[in-house]
Amino acid sequence: MHAKIKTALIDIVGEENFTDDLIDLVSYSYDGSQHKHRPNCAVWPDTPQRVSEILMLANAERVPVIARGAGTSLSGMAVPAKGGIVLDLSHMNKILKISIEDRLAVVQPGVVYADLEKALVPYGFFFPPDPASGKVATLGGNVATNAGGLKGAKYGTTRDYVLGIQVVLPDGRIMRTGSKAMKSVSGYDLTRLFVGSEGTLGVVTEITLKINPKPTATSTALATFDKLDDAGRAVSRIMYSGIIPSALEILGRHTILAINQDTDLNLPEVDAMILVETDGYTQAETDYQIQKVVDVFVENNATEIKRAETEEEAVELWAARKSAYGVLARIRTHFVLEDVTVPMGNIADLLKGIEAIAKAHNLQIATFGHAGDGNLHPQILYDGYDPDEVKRVEAASADLFRLAIDLEGTLTGEHGIGLSKAPFMSLEHDPVAMEVMQTIKQTFDPNNILNPGKMALER
Amino acid sequence: MEAKYDFARKYREQILKCSKCGFCQAACPVYGSTIRPALNARGKMLILKEVMDGEIELNDALIETLFQCTTCASCFENCPSGVNVPEIIKQVRKDMVHIGSCHPAFEGMNAVLKKHTNIYAEDEPEDFERPRNQKADIIYFIGCVGSYREEEATMAALDLLDRLGVDYTLIDEVCCSGVLEDVGYQINADLVKINIERILATGARKVITGCPYCWRTFKTRSAYAELLNRGVEILHMTEFLTEFNLDVRTEKRVTYHDPCDLGRHCGVYEQPRATIRKIAPNFVEMPSNRENALCCGAGGGVRGAFAKNSIAMARRRLKEAEEVDAEVVLTACNSCIHNLSNAKLRKQKFKIYTTTEFINKLMEENS
Repeated sequence: MHAKIKTALIDIVGEENFTDDLIDLVSYSYDGSQHKHRPNCAVWPDTPQRVSEILMLANAERVPVIARGAGTSLSGMAVPAKGGIVLDLSHMNKILKISIEDRLAVVQPGVVYADLEKALVPYGFFFPPDPASGKVATLGGNVATNAGGLKGAKYGTTRDYVLGIQVVLPDGRIMRTGSKAMKSVSGYDLTRLFVGSEGTLGVVTEITLKINPKPTATSTALATFDKLDDAGRAVSRIMYSGIIPSALEILGRHTILAINQDTDLNLPEVDAMILVETDGYTQAETDYQIQKVVDVFVENNATEIKRAETEEEAVELWAARKSAYGVLARIRTHFVLEDVTVPMGNIADLLKGIEAIAKAHNLQIATFGHAGDGNLHPQILYDGYDPDEVKRVEAASADLFRLAIDLEGTLTGEHGIGLSKAPFMSLEHDPVAMEVMQTIKQTFDPNNILNPGKMALER
Repeated sequence: MEAKYDFARKYREQILKCSKCGFCQAACPVYGSTIRPALNARGKMLILKEVMDGEIELNDALIETLFQCTTCASCFENCPSGVNVPEIIKQVRKDMVHIGSCHPAFEGMNAVLKKHTNIYAEDEPEDFERPRNQKADIIYFIGCVGSYREEEATMAALDLLDRLGVDYTLIDEVCCSGVLEDVGYQINADLVKINIERILATGARKVITGCPYCWRTFKTRSAYAELLNRGVEILHMTEFLTEFNLDVRTEKRVTYHDPCDLGRHCGVYEQPRATIRKIAPNFVEMPSNRENALCCGAGGGVRGAFAKNSIAMARRRLKEAEEVDAEVVLTACNSCIHNLSNAKLRKQKFKIYTTTEFINKLMEENS
């Protein structure tokens, strides 16, 4: 990087908040995906004004800027694909306001999801979209990637909770969008445009989030199915039952086998296992809901059904699902965790399709995920030092995306496009949609300094 | 291709298993007080992966992160992939020392223990006015911090043993030198030999240590295996105390800080609590406790090498004590006491003691 730019950045943030030390450059080269690229430097700004000055400078000098939170993204969106300045926002980590009467919280982008959760506990409130990385992921990152989580089926994703943002545009202008009111139909919905834009349009420096009262009761049950079709049909029939579970998770056969190899949980080795949780405010209410779901399991040939009678039993039922990611992460040296999503009625077809793809490419693919909103996580396990296997993984991923689109689904339910899925954007979006997206990018960021190389936005 | 370094030979598979999820960030005390991901366990594993792949060199540029780890193991505890980061860090430090890249404070520790019998290079040991090198069933082994920095806590522990009518002796102990293994060197065989000889010479069947690190060193390092082979039982003071009925009580709001060496490294969580609950019915847990306890910031050579960040880690820990309105913070490690006491702010009104010191104080007040 040009010495002049380094000096200018230090003038803005101070010596102690600038780094081009090797250790920082290495750590900012990665996120949770398999992608990697070195930035030129990183800065730790602490105010929107400083963010604005940095962007003004970068825009004038045509240097890429990559906003970053905890770097837990799984598709490469935090990887500085074209080098440049990493803007680590995790020092802007204050909860600015919690207003129960207005049902909202105002936070800086570097606030960790779990810290907001903790701050809301005394009020009996929570922020529902709970990514698995919530202990470390920042809310700025959650907004930039429109993060989802286990409770997506009932409570939606981050998008459904962002009332407004303060955002710095690439030319340094600071803009406020949305409103602190619960409802607003005033002008274009600029807020939603930025949610999930993966840092390509602006840098979010303040977020106003809607919060929910936290349900105080839950019921939990688990069912196993010898046949995938039965499990798939059960998921569809739950939708007819009038109940929306707060969690409806599925584990496929290969995930179950892997868990049995690595733990002493001794799960029945069946085609599918479905875990369901209902929530509400009295035990009678949640028990009523879970019974309706259990009835559906029975009608659809569940082999075994367990209902948790106590909190400890609920924890036991959750153990398999909670261990899935870790167990699968240990098996081989590398993995890709996908998040293809289809209409709920197509879950069984998606699961079957994934198995066929695994077979065709001779790969180990273990699947689990959120059946309640049609979002599955096929985890492809492989050795990244074996070039032949890497090729097969790439081919399998491409097949997986085609399968999801064929089943009227989407490339990504919650992890985002980033670098991993950029080449597949046109599978899902028609040429007109692609052109409109590129035009929007051009309008906000004509010099393409913000997170370049992502989301197939370059013409 | 043959790996260039021992850390790669021993831990390549483990390092590759780091899935880069970053979940360790929630637990790492160094990250928590610096908010700098390069210092987090994930940052360290990425750096080592690049070293293994030949993309970067193992050299002085990496000292700031590879030597800045308290080896508290909270990352290991929280790692979905089960990567044993503290063991990897200890090994890579040895590799770095081997090639001449080492933090000067760490080099100093090794040099000091070549010339002196304790980590502080103090030549005049405190006498503690107790029998030494006598025949006895029990030895109380103080450790360097207790001998030269936290003498009051040690004196109180010895007073307590007297009150409980325990027949024990001190010995002319030398540093157990276990810490050298953490900071890139080997345990000092000369010092080990002296300790073993002096312990065995007393005919003692039990060694009670005041320091969890000495305790862990005696119990787990092969250099000290002779003690166990000769049937000498090694107990930390906390374990020893569970044998006694303590006839004192406090109404104060008391909390307990888990030392990493006792807790995450050896799984001793409940015994210290059982003792404290007997004397303090108003016991309260800090938000992070047991396997999730925040580290005091002193371990792994960090206090000597990165003093400012070490104190910042201790401050974070004490903030939790403040959050639960504790009046007394107890722990079972002189090193934790030392760092926490140094970090305590004037406005923080709670007192910090070892559990032993606190019990002795209550007994003193009662008598």
